[in-house]
Amino acid sequence: MIKYMKYEIKGTYKYILGILALVLILITGIYTYISRANRGSHIGTIFIGLSVLVLFGTALATFLYIVGSFRKELYDDRGYLTFTLPLTGNQIVGSKLIVALLWFAILGTAIAMYNIVMALILNPVEVNLSELLSMVSHIISMKEIVVIILGLIFNGVNMLVLIYFSMALSRVTFRNKRIGGLWFVIFLILSGVIAYGQYNVGELLPYYVDLNTFNIESMNTLRHQLNMGINTGIMMSTNIAASIYSIAITVILFIGTGYLIEKKIDL
Amino acid sequence: MKNIVEIKDLTKKYFNKKALDNITLNIEEGKVVGILGPNGSGKTTLIKILTGLLRQTSGEAFIDEQKVGVYTKSIVSYLPDRNFLYKWMTIEDAFNLFKDFYSDFDENKFEEILNFMELEKSVKIETLSKGMHEKLNLTLVLSRNAKLYILDEPIAGVDPVARDQILDAIINNYNDKSSMLITTHLVRDMENMLEDVVFLKDGNIVLTGNAESLREEKGKQIDDIYKEVFSQ
Repeated sequence: MIKYMKYEIKGTYKYILGILALVLILITGIYTYISRANRGSHIGTIFIGLSVLVLFGTALATFLYIVGSFRKELYDDRGYLTFTLPLTGNQIVGSKLIVALLWFAILGTAIAMYNIVMALILNPVEVNLSELLSMVSHIISMKEIVVIILGLIFNGVNMLVLIYFSMALSRVTFRNKRIGGLWFVIFLILSGVIAYGQYNVGELLPYYVDLNTFNIESMNTLRHQLNMGINTGIMMSTNIAASIYSIAITVILFIGTGYLIEKKIDL
Repeated sequence: MKNIVEIKDLTKKYFNKKALDNITLNIEEGKVVGILGPNGSGKTTLIKILTGLLRQTSGEAFIDEQKVGVYTKSIVSYLPDRNFLYKWMTIEDAFNLFKDFYSDFDENKFEEILNFMELEKSVKIETLSKGMHEKLNLTLVLSRNAKLYILDEPIAGVDPVARDQILDAIINNYNDKSSMLITTHLVRDMENMLEDVVFLKDGNIVLTGNAESLREEKGKQIDDIYKEVFSQ
């Protein structure tokens, strides 16, 4: 699997570095323009908005690129190499998933760090790092940061696996037809069905775990605490049954995708 | 002698059309077998089932007594009828990939065949002509000491000089402990290297046997038998 990941990285790194370079140039341009045009004024809202747009563009382009990479295996001649390597379907899907997440993490971190550096260069302020950290820790705890990061990773995995599954299912169902966007229709339908199931499971078993204290509460308790202003960490609560359901669905979709590409796809 | 390939009642349907119709075939270890037939006879379908790229509708296929899967992929060296290498690669990347994934890959053999084919490792795959592609693909496939080689139309669409080079490479680098399955409709060029032949027509085996025995029995070359069988 590591070997396959190596070739996945080798095959995509030039594009990713290109995207990164483009985004960093754009961000530099945005910051420079704003700082020259409105020196000394409060322009935070504008540049944050523009940065978010650039970030969104990057995420979308990279996402489409990564999604396209899996689709190419199913429809292009490269599948003749990939699917005759002595690898299981799960190993192929797992490698693609990990490399995709790796690129998102690298892009996200690099762009975030660059934004901070640019902001500090163009608007130098005396910052006491320990004060800043203490301020941040008042707003959000380390535990919450970890939970948020894990949540982001899980949502990324969940989304990618669902897309891969939709593509594989589309390929298996319509064997010899390359119907553009059909996988997206399957993806939308599956997303709807899964979300509906998740909602119902949550309603059926309304017990939540507070991710700050790891106490299990019912929905009524959480509502009461919120009304009384006791539990400020309500946003860090998650429905237990819905979370288990979501994890189980992701695992099933992952194994299902591996099964489809190993046992069902006809090239 | 042990069979390296065992195919039993294999059928492949595309909707109502049968690409393979209930074929049964055994291939002995150490043999070079030609699967002969015109375009659309089911040659590539059969090979794709053996390499795990296609699923049969019914019947069974075993390679080295195993169902087609990860193990059989590790012992089969497959040359598809298309450019299957990743476009971003150089020849060196392709060499590294084969070295990484196949424990039977022989680096020295690769260097030898690559020199014979007059190819440079630093060349990007995207820039290769069809003939060069074919030579590179064959170099990679023959550099493995695989139990079974499966070559799908190895000389189709290449110029006569490249064709001779490819045929020489196959003859010179074939390991007699291995087995080889070659599909072709260019019988005249390949018949000298085939020990057994299987004639496939509309998904059915219409004639099979030892090439030499068939020549003696029919008093004709395999190429002429091919024309006779497929002109009917």
